[in-house]
Amino acid sequence: MAGKAPATIDVVVLGVSHRTAPVALREKLAVVQDQLDSTLKELALLPGVREVALLNTCNRVEIYAVTSDPDTALRAATSDLARRAGMLEAEIEPHLYTRMEREAVKHLFRVASSLDSLVVGEPQILGQVKTTFDTAARVGTSGSVLNQCAQGASRVARRVRSQTEIARNPVSISSVAVDLARNFYGDFHGKQVLVVGAGKMSDLAARALRSQGATLIITNRTRARADELAARVGGTVHEWNDLPGALAKADIVIASTGAQRPVLTLDLLAKVQKVRRHRQIFLIDIAMPRDVEPSKKYPDGVYVADIDNLQELAAHHLKGRQNEAMQAEAIVEDEVTRFMQSWSGKQIGPTVVAFRSHVLGVAHGEADKLLAGLSHLAEKDRKAILAFADGLAKKLLHLPQMALKKDAGEAMSMIDALRKLYDLQPAEPLSETEPAVDVDAPVAASKASGGGGSS
Amino acid sequence: LGVSILTALEFGAYALASLLYLGYFMGLREKAGRLALFVAVLLHLGDIGARCAHGTNPISSTPEAMAFIAFLLGAGYLLASLRYGLASAGAFAAPAALVLLVLARVVPAEEATPEMGTLGYTHILLATVGVAIFFIAAVLAVVYLFQDRQLRRKQFDRVTGRGTPLDTLDRLAGWCVSIGFPIFTVAIVTGAMWIARLGVLRTATALRPEYLLAFVTWAAFAVLIGARIGGGWRGRRAAWLTLGGFGGTVLVLLVYFLRHAA
Repeated sequence: MAGKAPATIDVVVLGVSHRTAPVALREKLAVVQDQLDSTLKELALLPGVREVALLNTCNRVEIYAVTSDPDTALRAATSDLARRAGMLEAEIEPHLYTRMEREAVKHLFRVASSLDSLVVGEPQILGQVKTTFDTAARVGTSGSVLNQCAQGASRVARRVRSQTEIARNPVSISSVAVDLARNFYGDFHGKQVLVVGAGKMSDLAARALRSQGATLIITNRTRARADELAARVGGTVHEWNDLPGALAKADIVIASTGAQRPVLTLDLLAKVQKVRRHRQIFLIDIAMPRDVEPSKKYPDGVYVADIDNLQELAAHHLKGRQNEAMQAEAIVEDEVTRFMQSWSGKQIGPTVVAFRSHVLGVAHGEADKLLAGLSHLAEKDRKAILAFADGLAKKLLHLPQMALKKDAGEAMSMIDALRKLYDLQPAEPLSETEPAVDVDAPVAASKASGGGGSS
Repeated sequence: LGVSILTALEFGAYALASLLYLGYFMGLREKAGRLALFVAVLLHLGDIGARCAHGTNPISSTPEAMAFIAFLLGAGYLLASLRYGLASAGAFAAPAALVLLVLARVVPAEEATPEMGTLGYTHILLATVGVAIFFIAAVLAVVYLFQDRQLRRKQFDRVTGRGTPLDTLDRLAGWCVSIGFPIFTVAIVTGAMWIARLGVLRTATALRPEYLLAFVTWAAFAVLIGARIGGGWRGRRAAWLTLGGFGGTVLVLLVYFLRHAA
């Protein structure tokens, strides 16, 4: 399909995201979980809306709708959003974006592939997209068009995931910390993680390590806060006064005290390593100022990563993701084109059927009317007249039909024209449950080497 | 000396595997190197089979035994990497196997020692297997030291997600040494008995330097095992000691080649 694929699909999206709206606005527009169903039902009743789904995450609120009258539908949806948020339309309009037809499909595909996410490549969004359309299907506000879009979206997201390394390396500080620890231990089962200081920062990393089989030991200058953290993340508390004893047992240390001077001094580490017989120990220092005394040379077996190391690696991974994202964009573009081709292909069949039955209906109707006034004719002559009307109609149908079958992509604009010119109401395509790739399937099946163009 | 087509293919496959494993550090997938090494090891197995069919068994002479060590190294690494994810070690294992194999195939085969006997064959077989296991330990030690250096220098981006966990490397290397050591010990004992039986020790020229070196190697590994068990030595120090012991093994082979080249 060289350049333009003039296919249309009646999908629109209206929404706000972290790119266009501050959190204060997003949280006003967000729909609470238990009101989701009723909100969907109300949205479905808006003028011009045939199908609707609502994507609702902490970074975006988006309405996906199928409509034959986008202007009316979008206006109605905007005022509905404003009403729900208790705001004026003028207040939310600058933050809203809309996409229509092909661009709306592309937007959905990009969102599902996590290309539009705050953290590109984050894994949750695909699940959220799936839930969105599952909910709409359950409530009954979505139909074949949105279902096909949803299927397309998960396909693209899966392809992006498997064909690029967009989600390969972690970008959050806590998961980078876990990743670093993996340089030292192949398996965290039975490993002891010592959390020094009950700072909030150590929570996530400690939890992640625990979920992979490590046991947590927590020590803090203030005993009460150690108890609190231990209860929260699941660990045992060790006396602060016996820090060397705790270090002797540990394989990984997460340090995040608020102390002004290093808690883990070289002296202490050297002593501890003697007791440990230089068994390796990995110190993750996320405190500021640092908890591990800075040094060029630590005792044998001691490895240290500080907050800068973690941040550098996270930034490094994020950059890697951005490179992968370019590849992912190409995949999305490719999939949108395929989706639209397949979509067009599916529209041809029903339209052609409607067109045929319209023309044949007119021809047969006129012939019947004519025959009604010519009752003296012999049966043979009546048949001849019917055959003539039928033949004329079929001759007239032949060329347009051939033209439509010739090129599925190009056909879409003709189909649109045809529908408008003859006011056709084609039935829904039948093939909504299949994964939808074969452009030629619905009509050109009889033709051995039909059109399809460049696929 | 002509090199057969099969041997040339073997060289090619090992070389390709080496390149692909080195490429792993530049972002290539591990699968590529693994596949090439698998092909190389298969070809090598076929080669050994063909030689056996011609009456040259893999432990009949030092060059044959070295080629056999290369095979054991390649196959051993391949098996271990399936279980432990040792992609980074491939960049050392594959080239090591290649160098060993090329040396073995390029050096002309000596005439078979007249009186091999059961003792002689036992000695060469055990020594071959022992050296191959030490070879794997040495490869693991080299990778350990590389990664250790990068981690101590906080070059985390180079290792993270690509390297092998230090404790896995250390454990596997220790394991190899503990298995290789008894085998090597028996090899030395049978070797000494064999020499004594041949009676060559009575002639002054027969006290060759590699006998002494072999003993030094054995002693180094004995110390290493003692230190690991008794002194809790591990990690960097153990890795260096493994390399030291293995260096002795390499010297034995070098002395052999120098003497034969002369």
